[in-house]
Amino acid sequence: MIKVEQLHKSFGNNEVLKDISLEIKKGDVVAIIGPSGSGKSTLLRCINLLETPTQGHIFIDDQNVTTINNRNMIKIREKVGMVFQHFHLFPHKTVLENLTYAPVKVKNKTKQEAVQKAEELLKRVGLSEKAEAYPSRLSGGQKQRVAIARALAMEPEYLLFDEPTSALDPEMVKEVLDVMMDLAKQGMTMAVVTHEMGFARMVADKVIFMDQGQILEVASPEEFFSHPKTDRAKDFLEKVL
Amino acid sequence: MDIFSGFSLIAHSIPYIVNGVWTTLEIALVSAISGMILGILLSLCKIGRIKILAWLADFYTSIFRGTPLILQLTIVYFATPQLIGYDISAFLAAVITFGFNSGAYMSEIIRSGINAVDKGQFEAAGALGVPYGAMMKDIILPQAIKKILPAMMNEFITLTKESAIVSTIGVLDLMRRAQVVAAENSLYFPPLIVSFVVYYILVMILTILGRLFERRMSRSD
Repeated sequence: MIKVEQLHKSFGNNEVLKDISLEIKKGDVVAIIGPSGSGKSTLLRCINLLETPTQGHIFIDDQNVTTINNRNMIKIREKVGMVFQHFHLFPHKTVLENLTYAPVKVKNKTKQEAVQKAEELLKRVGLSEKAEAYPSRLSGGQKQRVAIARALAMEPEYLLFDEPTSALDPEMVKEVLDVMMDLAKQGMTMAVVTHEMGFARMVADKVIFMDQGQILEVASPEEFFSHPKTDRAKDFLEKVL
Repeated sequence: MDIFSGFSLIAHSIPYIVNGVWTTLEIALVSAISGMILGILLSLCKIGRIKILAWLADFYTSIFRGTPLILQLTIVYFATPQLIGYDISAFLAAVITFGFNSGAYMSEIIRSGINAVDKGQFEAAGALGVPYGAMMKDIILPQAIKKILPAMMNEFITLTKESAIVSTIGVLDLMRRAQVVAAENSLYFPPLIVSFVVYYILVMILTILGRLFERRMSRSD
């Protein structure tokens, strides 16, 4: 379980997260939505220790990660995978090497085990034939599917998605969402920052609505999309739906 | 004496001058390699979190960039041995000076290359749990070096040409050999032109090799 308690994060004088508390249970799919600049991405990045919180605590499986040392930080990052808006594949490595690098380096898997796992994952995201290609030869949708496979190669228990489809051409959004839906079905615990309301509605167990650094609503998708409680959520939904 | 008879007079010495190219290349190559290793270490200090190391690396760079190379060479070859009573060979003094000097310039080039790598690469490696050292070695530096290849090639070519300064401490490189032959025959134009042409051809070959290497490195684009 991921538990966030009274989290604050400031960049200089700009407080982007104000008193955030939330829980993500094993097997849950949580959609985090809200207008741009509401702090959604920063929240994810705090959970993955890419940002250091100014105040508050984050627990991952009962371990307080806000007071963690370097070695345990690596352990946590093995457990928590991250998929970025702009993919961030390693451009000088082939697709297969992108998938095998961290398992071999960080999890001390043998090359053979890692390759086997990578091939399995590429098949799962429908990109077996791209194993030897360099990322620059892939379309945006393919890149993001490789990025998801790369995160899965570490066998994480949690997967964080930071606007995984926002940088994609519209016709490529579906292939990425399909992979994510498939993951959700198989019980992966996921936190997804997204502007895809259809996805949030269909796949999420819980919707978190954020605005100006605060969580305004936590609800089931049916409840949130049909009966938003706050004016700001109503406002937001009117604009995006 | 006309120009042609001048060349025919030193004809038997031309191979001697041309063979100086190996000394020149040796100095440039050894200095470039040690300069590159030193440059990587210095650049890592400069971008690292340890303030004192960053400061020392910056100070080191400013020293070597802020003084004339020929003076650095003279200090290493003449002054330091006198101080510590140790005899240094001219060749060693040359590669030490050029290696240290090149390290300073190289570190700035590499630092700019590291800064030019997308921040997302650091984050992606971090999110996968890749430790700092492995991230730098396997993910960041390969991309940084690819970006700065033209600048590094430039540095190597500069090094090759600037290495002519070692003639002042008596290393028998391309430049020095031309001077030796010139002095022997009291004839300056032909031997100096021979080394002039050899330097030029050498630099052209290096430029072409650099381009080929660059093209090979960019196959992942």
